[in-house]
Amino acid sequence: MPDSWSNEIGAVFRKEIQSELRSKSGLITSGLFGIVSVVAIAFATWTVKLTPTVAAGLFWITLLFSSMISLPRAFTVEEELGTGDLLRLMARPHSVFWGKVLFNLILVAVTAVVLGTLFLVLAQIHVANVGVLIVSLLGSCFALGGGVTLSGALVAQAANRNALSAAIALPLLVPLTAIGVSALRVAFGDPGVAAGIQAAIGLVCYGVVSVAIGPYLFAAVWKT
Amino acid sequence: MGYGIDLAFRAPNAMVFENKELARIIFFHLPCAWGSTLFLILAPVFALMYLRSKKRIWDLRAAAAMEIGLLLGVLTLITGMIFSDVEWGAPWNWDPRQTSFLLVVLITAAYFALRAAFSDPEKQASHSAAYVLAAILPELFLIAVFPRMLMSLHPDVVRQGGFDATYWTVIAVVSVSLLLTSGWMFGLRVRAGLLEEALENSNAKLGSRDDPTPSGVVRPVSVPDESR
Repeated sequence: MPDSWSNEIGAVFRKEIQSELRSKSGLITSGLFGIVSVVAIAFATWTVKLTPTVAAGLFWITLLFSSMISLPRAFTVEEELGTGDLLRLMARPHSVFWGKVLFNLILVAVTAVVLGTLFLVLAQIHVANVGVLIVSLLGSCFALGGGVTLSGALVAQAANRNALSAAIALPLLVPLTAIGVSALRVAFGDPGVAAGIQAAIGLVCYGVVSVAIGPYLFAAVWKT
Repeated sequence: MGYGIDLAFRAPNAMVFENKELARIIFFHLPCAWGSTLFLILAPVFALMYLRSKKRIWDLRAAAAMEIGLLLGVLTLITGMIFSDVEWGAPWNWDPRQTSFLLVVLITAAYFALRAAFSDPEKQASHSAAYVLAAILPELFLIAVFPRMLMSLHPDVVRQGGFDATYWTVIAVVSVSLLLTSGWMFGLRVRAGLLEEALENSNAKLGSRDDPTPSGVVRPVSVPDESR
């Protein structure tokens, strides 16, 4: 009797958590990249007061690149270690995608919280609206988690997957930068709370759509 | 197309623009942008048909649509930059519509990077189809939503009623002729794709019949020595 969806998704998710706890590669890579970027930004701009829009742009780009470095690994590492074939035999494509996207959402949320705290402290950014900041970060995590996981799944079986993952993910995610910055700059003090919340909801919607269509697209490429 | 170009030069100057003569570039800029959008919307339809049927012809159609969409997109950017240079003083102004179209072109270009990374035709087709479908959401956002979020330098001639009937006639003639030309190119590209595939298959068969050398391997040939 085949396992239920929740069992399969749970098994893939637990496998990802255990692999990460064993190697800590994703957290260390994205965390270190993000921390170095935030320190570099704070160091480069310590003589000037960042405007809300510039601060939002710098923070969002740091989060974008941190995600792009760590999130596609969930799929590419399966092909590099040769464990992809076993996973194809053991679980349905939808379960694999959902298990990995859940893990990636947690990874990007941890990265966003750590980077956000560091950025606010080191770059001395004043948070004018905590509510919009939380909704914006939640939306950004959803959008980045969904979008980067999907692009990682698309390049996992490609010949030059590591270089290609950034080339594929960037054009797909750059439009999100506009929405992400619109939301975050309001949190950092620009006027227009309603527009900021709208933008943050837009990010959540983008993430939800990516996560919703992701399994279907992933199923089309996973077993070819 | 020749008739359209002839009409474009006979049309009266557009009074709503700084450089009234150069406004004629609109006759080519607008149809290129519409044509590019049309082909970029057709590509996901073909990609979906491929994923449903797994017939190679749909993948070739999707690839051809993306190629023509990219070509028309680049032409839109070039004609837009020429117009922008004269009208707004610089070829690139980070105008929302200009920037969003550049991003659409980059998303389309990434399709070819992904396609080139697979040598197996089935993997190439399914991954490319999945990418086209994944890209439709950001593309629609960039084409339909993003330019309306911010102030744009682009003249909204449709709402302002800046063009007279002659201009719309010329734009319609050029649009139809561009559509026919690009449709013809699309057909040619699909046929060329089918021929390429047939050639590869026949090479593979020849290679496996009486020659142990795998297809795709360059065989050494003897070059005649001219000094003798």
